Amino acid sequence: MTVTIHPSRRRFLAGAGGLAFAVLSGGGISVLRPSAQAATSTEPGVPVDAWVTIFPDDRVIIRYGAAEMGQGVSTSLPLIVAEELDADWDRVTVEQVSQDPQRLFGNPAFGGNLFSAGSTSLEGYFTALRIAGATARRVLIHTAAAAWGLPVDEVSTEPGVVVHEASGRRLRFGEIVALEEIRTDVLQVFEDDLKPREAWRLIGSGVGRRDIPGKTRGEAIYSIDVRVDGMVYAAQLLAPVEGEAPTVDNDADALSVPGVIAVVPLANSIGVVADTFEAALAGRDRLRVSWSTGSDFRSADSADELAQLAQAADDFSTEPVTWEARGDAAGALSAEGRRTVTAHYTTEHVYHAQMEPLNAVASVDHDGKGADVWVGSQSQTISLAVASHVLDTTPDRIRFHAMQMGGAFGRRTVFARDLLRDALLLSKTVGRPVKLIWTREDDVKNGWLRPATVHRLDAVLDETGRLEALRHRVASPSIMQFAFPNRWDPESRRDLLVMEGTESADYAIPNLLAEQVLVDRRSRVSAWRGIGWAPNCFARECFLDELADAAGSDPVSFRRDLLRDSPRGLEVLNKVVKMSGFGNPPEGRAHGLAFAGYKATLGAGVAEVSVTEGRLRVHRFWAAVDPGIVVHPLSYVGQVEGGIIFGLSSLLGERSTFTDGMIEQNNFYDYEILRIDAVPEIEVALVESGSPPSGGGEIGVPMTGGAVANAVRRLTGTQPRRMPFDLGDA
Amino acid sequence: MIRLTVNGRAVEVEAAPDTPLLWVLRDHLGLVGTRFGCGAGMCGACTVHLDGVATFSCLTAVEDAAHQQITTIEGLSPDGSHPVQRAWVAEQTPQCGYCQSGQIMRAAALLAANPTPSRDEIVGEMSANLCRCGTYPRIIRAIERAARED
Ligand code: FES
Ligand code: FES
Repeated sequence: MTVTIHPSRRRFLAGAGGLAFAVLSGGGISVLRPSAQAATSTEPGVPVDAWVTIFPDDRVIIRYGAAEMGQGVSTSLPLIVAEELDADWDRVTVEQVSQDPQRLFGNPAFGGNLFSAGSTSLEGYFTALRIAGATARRVLIHTAAAAWGLPVDEVSTEPGVVVHEASGRRLRFGEIVALEEIRTDVLQVFEDDLKPREAWRLIGSGVGRRDIPGKTRGEAIYSIDVRVDGMVYAAQLLAPVEGEAPTVDNDADALSVPGVIAVVPLANSIGVVADTFEAALAGRDRLRVSWSTGSDFRSADSADELAQLAQAADDFSTEPVTWEARGDAAGALSAEGRRTVTAHYTTEHVYHAQMEPLNAVASVDHDGKGADVWVGSQSQTISLAVASHVLDTTPDRIRFHAMQMGGAFGRRTVFARDLLRDALLLSKTVGRPVKLIWTREDDVKNGWLRPATVHRLDAVLDETGRLEALRHRVASPSIMQFAFPNRWDPESRRDLLVMEGTESADYAIPNLLAEQVLVDRRSRVSAWRGIGWAPNCFARECFLDELADAAGSDPVSFRRDLLRDSPRGLEVLNKVVKMSGFGNPPEGRAHGLAFAGYKATLGAGVAEVSVTEGRLRVHRFWAAVDPGIVVHPLSYVGQVEGGIIFGLSSLLGERSTFTDGMIEQNNFYDYEILRIDAVPEIEVALVESGSPPSGGGEIGVPMTGGAVANAVRRLTGTQPRRMPFDLGDA
Repeated sequence: MIRLTVNGRAVEVEAAPDTPLLWVLRDHLGLVGTRFGCGAGMCGACTVHLDGVATFSCLTAVEDAAHQQITTIEGLSPDGSHPVQRAWVAEQTPQCGYCQSGQIMRAAALLAANPTPSRDEIVGEMSANLCRCGTYPRIIRAIERAARED
């Protein structure tokens, strides 16, 4: 492999200081002298388009494009650059990219947009960041060699220093960037400029996360903590049903609350702006509002939707959307005299419950055509576009401050469409910076839910008990159509966010058909940690255990056979079987197994459970995960643990329900997420295959449903078929 | 005007007597390390110490805190060196971090009252606090470490 970088801009900016390296989205790189004027970065002198900046005093600033929501990208992405640069990690400062007008920092996995979702950051950025670091290192090496008058192949680096071993000469990176003559004609990186794996000091090491010390001192700042001069607070009275508009009957009582400044009708809500948040809430309580009654969602009912989905899953008269077809599954299923097995599984609506309720701070300029915006967003690109659209202005007028998030899990990708819009409109109306905060009740009742799904699976077993054909039919509303309408293709109607995972790509199934039966949405829907993989793997892995029984096989052998063409899959399966001592649980407990890939990340999990008087307890959970290459093991294992807990939470009790178009839950007392007393002992093993790195944020989720359900069945003889599990009949 | 003692300092705030202490700390005093998660005593993100006892500041009227020593995450130690904070770093506990001020405050109060808690006592006490990121295993390990090393 030859990695070629095409230098696209070599112009040096005038001014003192060190060197900045900017990688362009097309793969180009530029080396700049930081200028005082170009700076919008927090560090004066750093140009906005610099990925890496090295200062004469040896400080290094590395910027990252992904958004920090707990997954650790603020450490893991800069670590990749630092590795190839051979930086002294103690001198590195990391910095979030808020705005990217030249599209330099976008995630290659998301078309160069700043977008952090689906565990794609490591996968998307890995190579680009290695090249960025290696290019910077190459410039330093060549510059030092030229200064010494030595051939470049005689010099090498130690952390933060270029060295010539034979003569003992050394130049610190800071000294090099201060030299008169910088070699900028060496911006082509070849494979042997990248460090071989054995030489890695930072990738795969146990260095701590950069954001953790501050998070133990209460110093981390989320958008909800932002304080701006002259700022006021806003609460929102939101439409009880999607699509309804308000008429204010009486706002005099609200306005009479001391501190309340304004009552502002918005499209689907009323904003109450006040000097303090408590006054805004008190004002909101005293508002009298009538709502329009024409919304189609007035009749939305989650129980009806589930019934409709169940019917749709079995209704072969409507045309489904094919997600994946291999061989001829339909043919095999309809052939005479074959041994077929059919089963159904259901998942109910769930809510994200990120700990920081949604909020945004906006400060609109006096001319109404520009603004500062502080928001925790999984996509700076989308949020910036929303802000420019709302103010009918150009993006350069939006000063966007990307904030780390108090959890996201899919909730903070497109939410900005409404909440951010309203914050901007409120600020524009009152002429002051406004912090708009949703209460937990607002957040629960206006959730964008993972839609309910009903799965129908049909299989053909051949005479030896092998899985010959599988049809995985999912009845569900489309998430893509609602949440990402501009990425939804009404022709193909393919819905990545519901269907991914049903292709069962790691399993050798000669005839496979995965298809979606589209049903109109009855609630707002969105992606949720684990995306479609969580419901899809739950259904499939339960079904495989049932098939294993039908075939007279066992959960391990049946899956081993299916993984015959996937060495990586076999590896994680065997690993988790070994770790858990699968099948030999203590008295009164049972083990359940599930294999679950999440895109390129492969994983398998084993749950150990007991059921006492209808009460399910998960005592232990083992997971083996192949992340390809692991960049930052501490974060990665934390992500897998967190994913397992997230998954367990959803199957043990999370459920959003709605009637008359209104979500019935209110707060954590009736939407319950897992507490520490229900968390099992968790053991995670990373089995690196050396494939390119792939994400760890989701993989824990999809393996939980199947593993726990299969254990319950082994223990009680009854297969849980619905998430969350109702063990009344177990 | 209500007089409070926050992190050892006497302060005066202009707030209605029934205002939740949480908003007074965050918005009136700028101590934003104490977080808002639910406002209903269900998540513990707002946990502070009142005379050393872990308390939900979202459910405490500011006037009721007037005669007590209020300690927030900002005042737990001068420089982040409280044994619980050190253990939290050593175990690399936080992910998004949003719940962690509350977790640390509850853990610190637990260890002050019971320096060598059993695992069941840790789990029982910490059940008041939610963490959506799922850092629970590391919370337990960090508390055990703090108990061991202090
Ligand atoms: S904010 Fe006080 S318990 Fe949740
Ligand atoms: S670390 Fe994110 S909620 Fe606990």
